[in-house]
Amino acid sequence: MRPAFPDWTWRAAFIAGLLLAPAAYAIFRALPAMTIDAGYPTLIIAGLLVGVGTRYAAGCTSGHGVCGVSRASPRSLVATLTFMAAGFVTVYLVRHALNS
Amino acid sequence: MQALTALLAGLVFGVGLIVSGMVNPAKVLGFLDLAGQWDPSLALVMAGAVAVGGIAFAVAGKRSTTLLGTPMMLPAARNLDPRLLLGSLLFGVGWGLAGFCPGPALVALGAGYAKAAVFVVAMLAGMFVFEWTGTSADTVRAGGRAARGERVTPDGETTPSALPLRPGPAGGT
Repeated sequence: MRPAFPDWTWRAAFIAGLLLAPAAYAIFRALPAMTIDAGYPTLIIAGLLVGVGTRYAAGCTSGHGVCGVSRASPRSLVATLTFMAAGFVTVYLVRHALNS
Repeated sequence: MQALTALLAGLVFGVGLIVSGMVNPAKVLGFLDLAGQWDPSLALVMAGAVAVGGIAFAVAGKRSTTLLGTPMMLPAARNLDPRLLLGSLLFGVGWGLAGFCPGPALVALGAGYAKAAVFVVAMLAGMFVFEWTGTSADTVRAGGRAARGERVTPDGETTPSALPLRPGPAGGT
């Protein structure tokens, strides 16, 4: 992404692994259905927020939530509590407060 | 070889996300819906992942090189800055709106869901917004750190200059 990335090869390979995971899974058993209820406008807004947010925070559910918490990193613990709280509040507002 | 292990890691991670239900936005939103029919099962997924990760990172922390012989790089940043909080806040809102976070969105894209493709394109656009708005600040900070003999990883995290510059695995998506 940035010129400062010297070794993008393994990063690209990791992304390829994620993209190929459904195909690998489907070799052994039927892929479970994924239900995406959000409409396109919501998906675009959510995608923008996730993109900007994870870069600013330097991590997401995996980077902070799993890897960072595994290392007991204070930054990651704070980040995880923050995005979990934001997620809980957002779902509460969308499903209950604004939709009652 | 490093690319091959990364590919396998991505595959294992992706299959894990499928098996656990993390790739299903309806399930993720059910987990985040405390006031509705709360589905706490994803908390167990997280607990399981942290348990395994805790062992792996404990082993990794004791080593100076990876199993492939490349230098071990773990995030060194410990400062709690406003960017961390603001970024996490924005990410959490987006996560709560759609039920997607970056890893599962890529897996769902690989499964062929058009909606996942739209989300991923928007997510990449959001990351480019960061590149435009965040890079200038990063460059200033990185310049200052470089002047003090420190190396800065792409995520803006600082590592001692004695270590070769090789961005670590964590802190990404």
